[in-house]
Amino acid sequence: MSKAILISICASLLLIFGAFWFASKPAGVDNETAVSVVDGKQIVDISAKGGYFPRVVLAKAGMPTVLRVSTRGTFDCSASLVIPKLQYQKFLQPTGTEEIPISPEQAQGTMQGLCGMGMYNFQIKFQ
Amino acid sequence: MPQSEQTTYTFHVHGMHCPACTLLIEETFKELPNVAGVHASLAEHQVTVTGDFSQPPERIAEKLTELVKAHGYTISLEKSQKGVGWADFVYALPLALVIIVGFLALQKMGLTNLITSSDVSYGTAFVLGLIASVSTCLAVVGGLVLSLSAISAKEGGTWRTQTLFHVGRLGGFFILGGTVGVLGNSLHLGLTANIALGIIVALVMLILGINLLDVFHFTKRLQFTLPKIFSRHVVAGSKHDHYLAPVLVGIGTFFLPCGFTQSMQLYALSTGDFMTGALTMLVFALGTLPVLALLSFGSLNIAHKPWKGIFFKTAGLIVIALALLNLSNALATAGIINPLFNF
Repeated sequence: MSKAILISICASLLLIFGAFWFASKPAGVDNETAVSVVDGKQIVDISAKGGYFPRVVLAKAGMPTVLRVSTRGTFDCSASLVIPKLQYQKFLQPTGTEEIPISPEQAQGTMQGLCGMGMYNFQIKFQ
Repeated sequence: MPQSEQTTYTFHVHGMHCPACTLLIEETFKELPNVAGVHASLAEHQVTVTGDFSQPPERIAEKLTELVKAHGYTISLEKSQKGVGWADFVYALPLALVIIVGFLALQKMGLTNLITSSDVSYGTAFVLGLIASVSTCLAVVGGLVLSLSAISAKEGGTWRTQTLFHVGRLGGFFILGGTVGVLGNSLHLGLTANIALGIIVALVMLILGINLLDVFHFTKRLQFTLPKIFSRHVVAGSKHDHYLAPVLVGIGTFFLPCGFTQSMQLYALSTGDFMTGALTMLVFALGTLPVLALLSFGSLNIAHKPWKGIFFKTAGLIVIALALLNLSNALATAGIINPLFNF
């Protein structure tokens, strides 16, 4: 095997592992401030611009919940919100707040939210 | 010895890529006085000639080659040993990976935070176009442009094909943007249609990407080419330049799944006016033009360089990677799989 091929393979492997580490590294921290309880209702706040923040939210299961998604000059994919479990899909206004009700029955397990083209996502873990 | 016997020979054709090529070869050979029938097959890379030949097949192949040499075809008895060019991968693989990692890094930089205003002026639309052309939309629109223009350049397409694509895209954005404005109705597709379109685009890119690698030959059969009956009309004018197809593909990019494009369409529809809607979409498309033009004219330019083999393989690897990314994204949106990536 020639030297060039060896270098090529090494560089390629390095780049592949680097890319996976890069793309799958959990950037969002479990942010407790995103969850608040008002009048017996759980409110989950998520901001959408160039992705969703926080990326992972821990919430209480079986509680009437409102998911509040706020946009601020959002023109990218994250404006196109999809929640497969709720069969919810809406193109959000560039700037505004969208309130999505989640019933106690739906507030179970892990709820995944994505943007319409699937580049950005967030999770609400009901526990 | 009776000389007027009809014999049939099958030859291999090197350099035949499109349905129009088979027509050109058939038309040329039919004009020979001693040829009774010709059939060229794109999938097999073969031409079958029936006629009254007095010479050995080697000489016939030589004579036939002379006729079509100007068009870049070689007729031979033996299947030409086509080098796959594995050596090109030594450079193409790391190169493709560097570009993909660079693209991922670009996404992590948070380009969208550059947009601070929340109302759309023509200036914002242009900036949004610029950002969209290097954002995740590049995975869809840019990937498709790269694969189509590299394939087109490889098959001998000229600058005209690429220009027509961009003219189609700009014109399409202008007219459809205006239409959206007047109708006050969104032309963008629903979720299911969006996912379906995403999967189709990903599969098209996958096939084109594999074609660019030039390693497997079975995908040639799957290649999206114009039907033969359509090429028949085009072949008379010019061998490789189809006029309608690139324009239509350019217009079609209006419907490609891209968050920025959809935001712009929503704005255009809120204007309720043809000119404002049309101009907003046009300005947005102009913003995306530099990067897309670089991709298409760049590949056209490189297609004639000595290291084109490396370029096509690099492009092929990038297109395949983007196709897989789009596919996983579409499936994640459909709720079938969990998202693999998060930018």
